[in-house]
Amino acid sequence: MTTTVRESAAADGGVHDLAVRTTGLRMRYGQRDVLDGLDLEIRRGELFGLLGPNGAGKSTTIEILEGYRRRSAGEVEVLGQDPERDDPSWRARIGIVLQSSRDHGRWRVGELLDHFAGYYAEPFDPAELLRTVGLSAQADQQTAKLSGGQRRRLDVAMGIIGRPELLFLDEPTTGFDPEARRDFHELIRGLRDVGGMTIVLTTHDMTEAQQLSDRIGILQAGRLTAVGTLDELAAAARARSEVRWTDHDGSPRRQLTADPSHAVWELHQQYGGPIPGLEVRRPTLEDTYLGMVSADLAESTANATATATATAIRTETP
Amino acid sequence: MNPFRLGLLRAAIELRQVLRSRKDFYSYLSTPLIFLAVAYWRAGGDKGQTTQLVPAGGVGSTIFMFGLMTVPQFLFGDREDGTLLRLRGVPGAMTAYLTGKTLFVLATMIASIAVLLLGGTALLGVGLPSSPTQWLTLCWVLLLGIAAVVPIGAAIGALLPAREALALYLMPVMGLIFVSGTFSPLRNLPTWLQDVASAFPLRWIAQGVRSALLPDAAKSYEPNGSWQHLATLGALTAWVLLGFLLAPRLLRRMAARESGSRLSEREQKRLTKAAY
Ligand SMILES: Nc1ncnc2c1ncn2[C@@H]1O[C@H](COP(=O)(O)OP(=O)(O)OP(=O)(O)O)[C@@H](O)[C@H]1O
Ligand SMILES: [Mg+2]
Repeated sequence: MTTTVRESAAADGGVHDLAVRTTGLRMRYGQRDVLDGLDLEIRRGELFGLLGPNGAGKSTTIEILEGYRRRSAGEVEVLGQDPERDDPSWRARIGIVLQSSRDHGRWRVGELLDHFAGYYAEPFDPAELLRTVGLSAQADQQTAKLSGGQRRRLDVAMGIIGRPELLFLDEPTTGFDPEARRDFHELIRGLRDVGGMTIVLTTHDMTEAQQLSDRIGILQAGRLTAVGTLDELAAAARARSEVRWTDHDGSPRRQLTADPSHAVWELHQQYGGPIPGLEVRRPTLEDTYLGMVSADLAESTANATATATATAIRTETP
Repeated sequence: MNPFRLGLLRAAIELRQVLRSRKDFYSYLSTPLIFLAVAYWRAGGDKGQTTQLVPAGGVGSTIFMFGLMTVPQFLFGDREDGTLLRLRGVPGAMTAYLTGKTLFVLATMIASIAVLLLGGTALLGVGLPSSPTQWLTLCWVLLLGIAAVVPIGAAIGALLPAREALALYLMPVMGLIFVSGTFSPLRNLPTWLQDVASAFPLRWIAQGVRSALLPDAAKSYEPNGSWQHLATLGALTAWVLLGFLLAPRLLRRMAARESGSRLSEREQKRLTKAAY
């Protein structure tokens, strides 16, 4: 069984390139399948963004991968091991930031991070990490007295203190102010680029997902409805780029198109040279995401296309 | 680092938290002080043998309260606020936690008992065993008593589903303290109540402690006029076995059932309640 999996995976780079692999993952609560045959592959060293509306099953998926929850069916391999085995050496390679936490409320921030460093063989330096997440000034404060955003930053620090190979971040930036968010993004990129960490992130912030993720998966009603890079998703969603320019009479013009390069080339012909005020806006993740999620909400594809066209028409006439 | 050493560290950090917080420090100190105050008040000048019952009963009650009230509350609280969930994701942290909590409870328990015994000696002229045999008795009764209640307390803490259940559970446990012969001789109670009390460990711990602290003549106050060491040994051992049988299973089950969404669900409830 395992050998066949390995062989088939070897064709496209080898199973060792995968940090996470699920096949037919199913999670049932009572009568309801929250995850309905989820197939997910996350490559080593990548930052994978898992998106989806509230209640789509993101946290459920992540908790199964973390070994916090027993799945109902399907196969799961995380860092080459079934998370349900839950052995300490595997645990040491995984970092976890849960969606919410207020544990160890009476501990002091510095003391807590120091203590947790003790559980790992090669932890980050706690004092330095505290500085990185901007909590040095709070080192002697009780964790219960931190603000929401500060607590969240401590959670992130606790998740990475053990220098994990694979880090799960469930909505890590809720409550961050813009500066903290920017610092966090820098930290996360650093962990991936320098530390080679694989990171799985869920967020409702599309800008964040767009800025950080190498690949993105969209989870809807218990299935991955789309997976790929930003461009691949945009293509799949037939999301259009926006081309703006200024007309001869000075009025702003815009056009939505699936092929902006071609549109610009045509405009060039039309203007016989430089196009005044030319601006090309690629579809943002938010455009793509909303396109996909709302398309899925509509009963039929026909409906969805109609909506998309309507949107296009609305934006085309200023 | 070795999880047991980390457990020792956890205990040290949590003890320091108690010492740093005036409120906590006094609340831990209040238990032995209340027993001493009751004993002093009951003494009313004369130092009769019923007076001497109370410090001895206080030692038994302290063990009982720590084991069956404080331990479940700790466990419940640490489950509710996600501490256990956090620890579950960290290699070796559960072992460290259990080690740490055990050491913490032992330390606070022994400190409370020391305050009671020393206070009893200073204020009432009772308190310390008067012969090596009595010291030996005190040691085995304390050890067995602690081992009888702490694992059971942990098992109960693992079972309690919600805060309401915790409150509901604590009431009969408090009640047991009053019918186990800690404040007044057990034989003054109706027989059926004596039987109820005998099913639980406190009655036996209290009786054992009395046999270690009071003069031999005081055994005439016991239900059948003897210290019943053998029965004490038997009853407490049964509780020890039950506790060590149940606690690991229930703790494991509890840890396995905890998850982040259960946590946020509770968090949500807590916030909604707080809003009202
Ligand atoms: N223990 C549970 N018992 C029953 N249903 C559950 C349980 N945990 C989660 N669910 C349900 O499963 C669904 C998926 O929940 P999950 O927390 O995975 O969603 P999510 O994608 O993380 O949502 P959000 O964006 O709000 O965090 C929800 O409908 C939720 O109500
Ligand atoms: Mg979630």
